[in-house]
Amino acid sequence: MKVKIRFFARFRELLGTDIIAEPSAGTALSGLIREIAGKNQEGYDTIFDEHGAFREFVILMRNGKRVELADAGKVTVADGDEIAIFPPVAGG
Amino acid sequence: MIRIQKEDVGIAALITAAKEPGTGAVVVFDGIVRDDDITEMDLEAYEEVAVPELEKIARAATEQFRLLHVDIVHRIGRLAVGENILVIVVGAGHRAEAYAGSRYIIEEIKKGVPIWKKELTRAGGRWVPGEHGHGAGKPA
Repeated sequence: MKVKIRFFARFRELLGTDIIAEPSAGTALSGLIREIAGKNQEGYDTIFDEHGAFREFVILMRNGKRVELADAGKVTVADGDEIAIFPPVAGG
Repeated sequence: MIRIQKEDVGIAALITAAKEPGTGAVVVFDGIVRDDDITEMDLEAYEEVAVPELEKIARAATEQFRLLHVDIVHRIGRLAVGENILVIVVGAGHRAEAYAGSRYIIEEIKKGVPIWKKELTRAGGRWVPGEHGHGAGKPA
């Protein structure tokens, strides 16, 4: 299966964006992000704390809908999903 | 008109178009790149989510403040000091609704629409921190 991962703002600068991943069935959202972010230590440290938990300001979306950080370990990704990871918004 | 675009905004034309029948007041909010010792500002959006969020805010404002017209145009890309970032045009029967509706829209945009700003300086750049701890709405 194929899943698209989009990072924005500072996360994008560190980790890139529009990354196509091919996770195995049953992969949790948190595990997938941890694996992708692990390719750049600074990017990983920006998103995860020293215990490997999401930093509280990180925002996750799956197919345009918010996913609570607490649920990211339970939500599994599906073929064709678009996962977005970004810092607090600052438009206007 | 609800739009995210690179191009500048023709504010005069928006004001003309906002004068729907029954309009007694049009309020324009124009957010501008401020000279905070920066050279430019670089804006990016998660457009597929940001546009529906802006549309939702416009609908809520229209209902809550009995607005007759709403335009929200948010720019992205590189903008110089003095350029327009965000233009909100609202029309209503009376000034109280127009002012309140305009204020509501800008505050809601700052709370939850996935758009980010980076201030570019001679030394590099810095991302503008969000005013709210989270953003992009609540889980559905």
